[in-house]
Amino acid sequence: MNLELSAFLTLLVLSLAVPTILFLLLRASLSDLLRHTLKLQAGVTFYLRSFLLVLFLSALSAAIGTSFDLKPGSRFMEYVWKGAEGVSSTLEKTVWFVAAYLVLVTILVATLKVKDDQ
Amino acid sequence: MTNERYLIASYFVCTALATVLGILVYLFLRRSFGGVADMASGKRLPLILKRLLPCGLLFPSLLGFFSVSYRGCNRTNYEEIVQSRTYLVEKNQEQISSVLLSIIIAVLFWDVVVLLILKYAQNGRNGTQLPQADD
Repeated sequence: MNLELSAFLTLLVLSLAVPTILFLLLRASLSDLLRHTLKLQAGVTFYLRSFLLVLFLSALSAAIGTSFDLKPGSRFMEYVWKGAEGVSSTLEKTVWFVAAYLVLVTILVATLKVKDDQ
Repeated sequence: MTNERYLIASYFVCTALATVLGILVYLFLRRSFGGVADMASGKRLPLILKRLLPCGLLFPSLLGFFSVSYRGCNRTNYEEIVQSRTYLVEKNQEQISSVLLSIIIAVLFWDVVVLLILKYAQNGRNGTQLPQADD
């Protein structure tokens, strides 16, 4: 296996680890919050699934978009730096889309919970 | 495989991939979205929403794919484009990345639609449950 492919696969694994950890950390509490707010199982499933998609697709999009077009004979550390650029891009995209999702869920909770509390 | 053959094969493979991804995301969200759409008022609106969902995921996916152009600052004609295999692979990566991004934006859009459905369903429910004001 050549160095470019190894670097790309490492980046892919790291990029998938980030959304996996985030989803496992947030799933239970997000599910509780949605169940409490929506009181509709289909709605809870829809928002949890869309959260999963947002996390994984944003990370994959950044990872796949990273190109290891280094000159032949490049050193090991050059591949590491390129991989680090990819991880940085993955984290950046994930943060932005999770932020957008959180804003949406906040609006959801704010608009639906006010009526219930009344 | 020559670069030209690679370009043709990869272009159609990526088109198929964009279509399959759009369909997979639709299948993943279809049932739960259907459950929410049934909460929408009227008889026709839930049906319209359910029929729009596949288009609302498949079209953005294809849009993401088609939005990537092979022509760039340094490569304006066909011969320059097919000259480098690395450039073609980079463009394929860009296409897939763009497809995934477009799908995320579509999913967030449908999240907003679901929010509006739930909001109006709640308004309707509360409206019917509110006690009549005494004159």
